[in-house]
Amino acid sequence: MSFAVRLLGITKRFGSVTALDRVDLEVEQGAIHALVGENGAGKTTLMRVLYGALHADEGALELDGNAVRFNSSREAIAAGVGMVSQHYGIIPELTCLQNLILGAEGGPVLNGKVAEARAQQLAERMGFSFDWNADAATLSPASAQKLEILKLLWREARIMILDEPTAMLSPADSDALFESLEQLAKDGATIILVTHRLPEVLDHCSRVTVLRGGKRVDEKLVSTTNGPELAKMIVGEAIERYESEDCPSLGDAVLDLQSLTAKGARGDLALKEVCLNLKSGEMLGVAGVDGSGQRELFEVIAGLIKPISGSLQIVGNDGNNLGSWDRIEKGLRLIPEDRHAQGVVEEWSLDENAALGLQRLEPFAQKNLVDTDARKQMAGKIAERFKTKHGGLNLAMASLSGGNQQRFVAARSLCLNPKLILAFQPARGLDIKGTQQVYEGIREACRNGAAALIVSFDLDELLEQCDRIVAMNHGKLYEPQAGQSKDRDAIGRLMVGAQ
Amino acid sequence: MKWRLIALIVGALAILAGAVLIAHASPLASLQSLFHGSLGTPVAIAGTLKETTPLLICGLAVFIALRAGLFNIGVEGQLLVGACTCGVVATKFHGITGMVLGVICGMIAGTLWALPAALIKAYRNGHEVITTIMLNNIAMLITSMLVSGPLKDKAQSDTATPYVDANTRLPWVYSNPPVQINLALVLGVLLCLGMAYWLKKTVGGYELQAVGANRTAARFAGISPQKVTMVAMSISGALGGLAGAVQVLAYEGRFYDGFSPGYGFDALGVALLAGGNALLVLPSSLLFGILSKGGTALQIDGIPKGITTVVLGLLILIAAAIRFRQVTKDA
Repeated sequence: MSFAVRLLGITKRFGSVTALDRVDLEVEQGAIHALVGENGAGKTTLMRVLYGALHADEGALELDGNAVRFNSSREAIAAGVGMVSQHYGIIPELTCLQNLILGAEGGPVLNGKVAEARAQQLAERMGFSFDWNADAATLSPASAQKLEILKLLWREARIMILDEPTAMLSPADSDALFESLEQLAKDGATIILVTHRLPEVLDHCSRVTVLRGGKRVDEKLVSTTNGPELAKMIVGEAIERYESEDCPSLGDAVLDLQSLTAKGARGDLALKEVCLNLKSGEMLGVAGVDGSGQRELFEVIAGLIKPISGSLQIVGNDGNNLGSWDRIEKGLRLIPEDRHAQGVVEEWSLDENAALGLQRLEPFAQKNLVDTDARKQMAGKIAERFKTKHGGLNLAMASLSGGNQQRFVAARSLCLNPKLILAFQPARGLDIKGTQQVYEGIREACRNGAAALIVSFDLDELLEQCDRIVAMNHGKLYEPQAGQSKDRDAIGRLMVGAQ
Repeated sequence: MKWRLIALIVGALAILAGAVLIAHASPLASLQSLFHGSLGTPVAIAGTLKETTPLLICGLAVFIALRAGLFNIGVEGQLLVGACTCGVVATKFHGITGMVLGVICGMIAGTLWALPAALIKAYRNGHEVITTIMLNNIAMLITSMLVSGPLKDKAQSDTATPYVDANTRLPWVYSNPPVQINLALVLGVLLCLGMAYWLKKTVGGYELQAVGANRTAARFAGISPQKVTMVAMSISGALGGLAGAVQVLAYEGRFYDGFSPGYGFDALGVALLAGGNALLVLPSSLLFGILSKGGTALQIDGIPKGITTVVLGLLILIAAAIRFRQVTKDA
């Protein structure tokens, strides 16, 4: 048995955070090897080390039994390692051919004909077809993915790293992709597949390595394992389980979704027939790996995108008749995912930001006039709520650190009698104490009759804080079976599609 | 690190002095004649105030769009269609009726002229800079064609519309010839105060500026950037049309080919120099008025009028530099 790749005892720290802790990875020549784990488990970091884009603090790298050391991706490419990252490196303004050869032109003078002939040859070998002189902007996600793979072949990569290659592909395109990958492996290429999706692992890979929290949990032959076992390894054992001390008394439905279907930004179906009922007093966690449709769920409820079918009821009103402001007026409050881009105006003062998203409500406004005194007072309360550190309410929001901005945004969403709190990673960038404060704040609002829907990629956080958890996978929302709503393993299985 | 700013200003002055020297003139004498020509005599002051009026109103037009994050380069075109429309309407009606209708129709024309750019920006995300520049050219050519043909006053040799009646002209609020202040200027000042109030004190103003400062965050705050874009461009176009209308009714008395020397374009500088404060459009437009009027005096001294454009350019750069320093200091 020969290993094409061996990573031995790789450790990588970012400041005080240890992203990888003595991780080993051995990949056989000619195999499709899966690397799985939750968000932040260290998969991409490990692959970036192999690709020369990051330097390991400790550990060794071997290719075909020889110790190597990459100072840059260029050296890794020269040694035959190629990587397709999650976000494609296709430049839409260039033609397909130009994209293919970009960075590997082979000399200062381009010979278009020769290049096209070789490109055509590579494509035919893989069973792909491209209009080489068309703009890359015209490519579908699936074709872009194919072009990325051809880029690796063009550079004569023997070791191919694919980071979430099917994230943007339809099932049919995914199948076609795996067919090509299996062909490549048969021809002697070694493929490392970074993925969240267990069916892919079980159907197409020979070995699987599981990472969790920057550590290697285990490595298995796929033939000797199964979905539930892998799911359990991925999410791990719960360290401590939160049991809600008092079962909250639930009131009327605050949010009701019926077969809600919506398109994502890329035109794919990002939400499929989602049904959900949320009652006042309830804190619901939405678990799932990144990109399972949580963003679209958030935006549909907030009224930022329109569903293509299905119905939603928000605080007893038909959501299809409500614009995004109307929903805020009915008591919807948002803690958006990206506070910097979605939650605040950075060049505005804290004072001005206090009204953002509440600007037409009393006391911020009286009959369409801004009440600056009331706003100043509210801004002070909002900053006080979670102890936002600031140098003055009239200073720009940009002067606050990310964590303090998050405190401010979270506190603002709890203002003025919220009925439905929609939170996307509400504790993003907060320390343990800040996290507790924010969740405690949301819980208090729920005790006072609100309901909260909380999206997080951190299952443990949800298990610790929420009353009930549902999971999203590929745009579908799954409710755990009765009695399993806080069952870590059951939810973990739902998250990765391994029922 | 204040010395950098001082160095910048000194450098800018040196460039100016150098440019004047190249034109074979004395920098000091030029400065003197610039100010003498714009503020030195009652006649000069009256001329400066006249020049300031369209710059002020057009400056407000650009300013309101800028606050919503939009670059309305099309104020020049909006001014032309506003002026042309008003020139026609005010000759059909007389007295107060003609005045009011002329102003209203001019504003409507300006709004309609901004509308395509607004719609394309709001609903198709086509860049307003491109569309408004194109609309400028169309406005110039169409109004030029109209006054050469169907709207031309046969009694005049110029390509111009007929003069509006004296009783339809906007009155002077202060008249002690040669110093005269027209109602148009008062109107502009009131508009400026009104806009400052609206932006600072109303929810609509708050929402408009939220869209300008962070479109995505505004969307998450329940604001429709599309609606705000439509509103801001409409107000901007209406103000551009108003500037043209009052120019006809207050000063020119008619619309003619080559009506605007580029007020709509200078207004970009007026608004940029004012930065984020609507009230600063007042001094900013006055400064532009002074330089514009004084530039004519310079020309008589044999220095190209373009030098004032260089001055304005440098002023805008320095203002931008100062503002950038303030922003980074806050951060």
